[in-house]
Amino acid sequence: MADTAFREAHVEADGFRIRYMQAGTGAPLVHLHGAGGLRLSPAHELLARQFRVIALEMPGFGASPVNTRTESMPEMASTIVRAIDKLGLDSFNLMGTSFGGKAALWVALQATSRVPALVLEAPAAIRQEGAAPPSGTPEEIARRLYAHPERVSAPPIDPAARAKAQPLVHRLLGPNRDADLESRLPELSTPTLVLFGTLDGVIAPAMGRIYKDLLPNCHLVFVYDAAHAISTDRPEAFTEVVVDFLERHEAFVISRAETVIHP
Amino acid sequence: MKVSFFETARYQAPQPLPAEWPVPSGSYDPEAGARAYRGMIERLELVEALGFDWVSVSEHHYSPRILTPSPIVSAAFLAAHLKKIKLALLGPIVPQSNPVRVAEEIAMLDTMAQGRLIVGLLRGTSNESLTYDLNPAEARERTDEGMELVLKAWTEPQPFGWQGRHYRYRTISIWPRPLQQPYPPTFALGTSRESCEFAARHRLGCGVSYGSFEGVARATRYYRERCAYYGWQPSPDQILYRANMLLAETDDEAQDALRALPNQAPFTMRPGVRDAMMAVDARNIAGEARAPVVSGALPTTFVGSPDTVVEQVRQCRDVVGAGVLDLSLHPPGSSGIEPLLRALELFGKKVLPRIRDI
Repeated sequence: MADTAFREAHVEADGFRIRYMQAGTGAPLVHLHGAGGLRLSPAHELLARQFRVIALEMPGFGASPVNTRTESMPEMASTIVRAIDKLGLDSFNLMGTSFGGKAALWVALQATSRVPALVLEAPAAIRQEGAAPPSGTPEEIARRLYAHPERVSAPPIDPAARAKAQPLVHRLLGPNRDADLESRLPELSTPTLVLFGTLDGVIAPAMGRIYKDLLPNCHLVFVYDAAHAISTDRPEAFTEVVVDFLERHEAFVISRAETVIHP
Repeated sequence: MKVSFFETARYQAPQPLPAEWPVPSGSYDPEAGARAYRGMIERLELVEALGFDWVSVSEHHYSPRILTPSPIVSAAFLAAHLKKIKLALLGPIVPQSNPVRVAEEIAMLDTMAQGRLIVGLLRGTSNESLTYDLNPAEARERTDEGMELVLKAWTEPQPFGWQGRHYRYRTISIWPRPLQQPYPPTFALGTSRESCEFAARHRLGCGVSYGSFEGVARATRYYRERCAYYGWQPSPDQILYRANMLLAETDDEAQDALRALPNQAPFTMRPGVRDAMMAVDARNIAGEARAPVVSGALPTTFVGSPDTVVEQVRQCRDVVGAGVLDLSLHPPGSSGIEPLLRALELFGKKVLPRIRDI
């Protein structure tokens, strides 16, 4: 089995020193985290059995210095593309979670030919009216994020780090309906998998259908019994469909399940 | 109060049958089956003329007691013969069905029947786990997930995949969708905490059956509490109570008929199977454990003359909160069609007009 233990490393891009966690071998899969910052979930390890997983920490999150420089998500995306250049990745699968889903869409728009497939986990790029990111005590935040808080293995997000990144998140997240982004989506023909948990308490799962409307090659999958943090609530189910999609793109709709009980 | 007639096809066996479930298929008489389905239509034309609001059909297998293994086939047959009455599918046994197929067939029939469908989704009685080799320990979870998928299939406008715990589909996009939008009036059937919770969360009706008023009221109270938690209040039409009724001209006559009923279910699993089933088939009323019904006769909760029964219906409304009664006039499996028809006429003339305003 591939080495799935994640190791920390750094890459310089745009004057930022960007931390990333890496494990596994195989085709590269770049992951962009949600507004809470980079935290590894069991799904990262499961994915690292088949892919070289590179989980980037966007500058301004975690222990990195406060980021007052990046003005917009397209700007963050170009920093990410430069970091990926520095890592020497020519072609890379891309996965974005929530806030990182919006970053991933801009990265895919800027580096379309280099991204064979895109996965958006509960993306926050299109949000229902009145949507608000989880806030409050760690317990209150957890209630919004997880259907199965008992399955959370990562340590809670450091409130200081969260507070530090908050202005950046607000700046980059933009309006609930971002016309600049949405007007570009019809040109993105990258095979895209959009996943929503049926119990998502942050972004309405009904937003999924708007990605289907706008993206020409989009597949929508609901993950039952998962909330916003799908890959933490149901890591095996999440990984299975993501791997299948990354390997087969739209042909992932063809079942390979075997039903023979005895020969 | 709305009233539904629970139609079970009333198969009349030409000779005595073995009492064990499953009942040997070889003891089935095709002519008696054909008579049962013809009789069903004749009876339901009367039911419709008497002014019943709904006729309900259910899913039961491997016995003549309720000769409707496919509720959708039953309902489609009835829809073609009856003109006004609503058709209540109570309902597909979700954990042993393909939920996408359930969603498609209901949407199709609702459209064909011009929006006359009512839907109840349920887990099924204990013995039904044996029908299609369903692990009883998984039945509850499969039911919850399957019901959620049925609702999603009815409402999601874009093709979608379902990455479930028990069901996995990569592409779902049903045609037709139901005529009644977003979907027909739908009930989660059962007294369990899980069923009540599901109904409350999705703003569905809650259907309970056969227990005493006080017993099933524990479930309907819990359901209303959960509805309040989710910020809404169910209407009386969203609480359905299925029960047996023995109606006669006088209380004495009705009590005599009650005493004549067997205290055993007509077809029961053999003891070894029954006991093993009891051990794995967990059931509850609003979270409080109850034994699965595996061999006892189902109770008859309405018994008496029209006056008495009207009063009992009033109590039922007050205690259970039910706004829909789904009735067996004479329990299914009891012999003879004539007493049933007499009870139906009596009900239509002397009870139905008096319970409308309850």
